[in-house]
Formats: sequence, C-alpha cells, structure tokens
Amino acid sequence: MKHLLATTTLGLALAAPAYSANYVIDPTHTFVTYEVGHFGTSTNRGRFDKKEGTVQFDKAAKTGKVEVVFDLKSVSTGVEMLNKHLQSEDLFDSAKFPAAKFVGDKFVFNGDKVSEVAGTLTLRGKSMPVTLKATNFNCYINPMFKREVCGGDFETTLKRSQWGVNYGLEMGVPDDVRLLIQVEAIKQ
Amino acid sequence: MAFAPRHGSPARAVIAAGIRLLPAGLLVLTASTAARAEPVIYVLDPQHSFVHFEVLHFGTSTLRGRFGTIDGQVELDHAVPSGWVSLRIPTAAVDTGVPAFDARLRQSDLLDSEAHPVAGFVASRFSFDGPRVSALSGELTLRGVRQTLELRALRYGCHTHPQLQREVCGGDFEGELDRAAFGASFGMPFVANRVRLRVQVEGIRQ
Repeated sequence: MKHLLATTTLGLALAAPAYSANYVIDPTHTFVTYEVGHFGTSTNRGRFDKKEGTVQFDKAAKTGKVEVVFDLKSVSTGVEMLNKHLQSEDLFDSAKFPAAKFVGDKFVFNGDKVSEVAGTLTLRGKSMPVTLKATNFNCYINPMFKREVCGGDFETTLKRSQWGVNYGLEMGVPDDVRLLIQVEAIKQ
Repeated sequence: MAFAPRHGSPARAVIAAGIRLLPAGLLVLTASTAARAEPVIYVLDPQHSFVHFEVLHFGTSTLRGRFGTIDGQVELDHAVPSGWVSLRIPTAAVDTGVPAFDARLRQSDLLDSEAHPVAGFVASRFSFDGPRVSALSGELTLRGVRQTLELRALRYGCHTHPQLQREVCGGDFEGELDRAAFGASFGMPFVANRVRLRVQVEGIRQ
C-alpha cells in the first residue's frame, strides 16, 4: 500500500507540468500609467481604468506568456477635456480602435524573478515590438484570496509616432512616452 | 480665495493688496520703484497640477493614486531669491481608478476626508539653482497632523501659455512621507508605510 501510494505520487509529479500555472490579471492592481512631457515644464500623466488579461507562467521552465487588453475609452487624466481629446482621431482614435493589446511571450529571468518581458503592443491597428523592464517582481500568498499572486512593476519608453499617434509632434509635444506598469495576477 | 495666511512677510501681502487699488498711472510708478523685491504671483493651472502618490503593495507592485483638482498659489522673487507656495488638496477627490479603494482611502484610518476634507501644503524654504527652483521645504497638514515635507525638483521650466499668451512656470517635484506619522496607518505592513509623492505643478503668471 505504502509502495503503491509512493508510486502514484511519483507518477503525478512526473506527469504534471509541475510549475506551469494560469493566472488572471487582478484589474484592481493592474494599471498602465503613461507620462509625457508638457512644454518642457512638467509631466502629464494618465492611466487606463478598464482592462483584462491572463498570464501563463512557468517558474521552473522560466517561460511565460501575458495577454492584456486595455479599453482606451477608460483613459483617465483628471481632466475631462483631455480624456476626450485623447480618444479623438488625433490620438487614440478609440471609436475605430477601442482597445490596445499587449502580448508578451519572451520572459527573461534574473534568478527566480522576471526581469524583462518582450512582446508586441497593438494600438490604432499597428503592432510594434516593445520590451518591458521590471523594477519590482514578486510572488506572495494573498490572505484574502488564499491564493498565490505574482506581479510587479514594469516600465518602458516608446515612440508614439511608431503607432501613428502623431498629434502635436510639430508643436513640440514629445514623441517619447514613458509607461509605468503595475501588474498583479491571481493563480487559478 | 481661501489660501492659508502667509507667514513671515506681511508687508509684501499689504503691498500686493495695495497695488490692486491704485489707478493705472500710479501702478506703473509703483511697479518701477518697487521692482527690486516685488514677487511674481503664479496661480496653479488646475489642468496641469496634480499630486500623485505611490505606495508598495505586498512588496510586489506599486499602487498609484491621484489628487486633483488642487488649487494654490506660488510667489517667486528671483531678486532675493525667495519663494512661497500654498496648496489646497481636497482629500475626498482621491482617484486610484478603483472606486472601492477610493472609498476605503476616505475612511477615518486613512485620509479621514469627512473630518479633514482638505490637506494643505505651505512652503517658504525654497532652494534655487540659478533661475530654477531646485527644492522646497514646508509643512504638509494631513488629517490635522502637520509634518515637514521636502520636495525635490526633477525638472523645472517656464513656457508661454499658447492660448493665454502668459508665462507659465512649473515642473515635477518628488518627496516621500511616512503615512503612519500622519496617523494614516490602515493596511500596514501589507501596504507600505513609505509613500512617494510625485507632484506635477504649473502656475500661470498673474
């Protein structure tokens, strides 16, 4: 009996892809905040409040894939007029392209922590490569969900003109946009 | 306007108030003789003045939130050089993007917005790097608790407002505070004590 149990346990351990797990993005702890310079004086910020996504993450194999979709109509700057302008044809053109999507499938690890995720950002119908660098990464057991949560902070700087978001370039509104990304995902 | 009373220089406030009452011809004369120490007044542009905060969640990721509209006034006297600022930050308008978090933040063990609807920052200790403000130190009052807060300028500049055709000066400032020192201690240690403030500010010359 003891032998049988041991064999079964061993069999399960061998059969299962031991560390691969699915996670669902926690929308209350997942935000993209953008920063763009304003006339060389200060920094304008905005964030996207509606989003959903999933992560497959294998700590042992050091691989992963993340897919997150952001509703561009949920952009929030604190200035209603600016929210509306961001959605216009000048910038996001959210009537025609309501969402932005990031698919990251190249995970780089530093020890057991994710240090970089490279993938593709689709915005205004254009898909271009982006690489997100981690400034924090950690997994913990959330006491409310009683489940593992993995996440961190990532950042990148992109050139908005690559996606055809050209408004204001000739007036000196910078092409460079810095993204600060908070992400947490709950193990399923 | 309901700005906090200015400390330290009542004479300057009297001069500023007096000039508004003078006829135009006298104003020119007064301005030319008083130019030596006349502070320039900037009123904050509510579309480009926000206080953002950042705090670490479970040692994993950074929670962010925003306060605005903030209102306030800055006085700069480059001849001295000296500066003075007073900001009013309505705490109930906290905006994290998650309405449940905003409601939790307004409760008595965090912002206590009902009893203390406005946080205030008043600073008169300015450091300059040439014509640029490089840092300032003042008093932040939050939940009725007053503590010293230092802000460092990450960038500072001036431009001409394209519609108003007036000078706008401002920048990005950063500082840190211990929320427990203000009595806003709910959720520690899962949500960190240390809070980073990232302040965008632009003032329109009056």
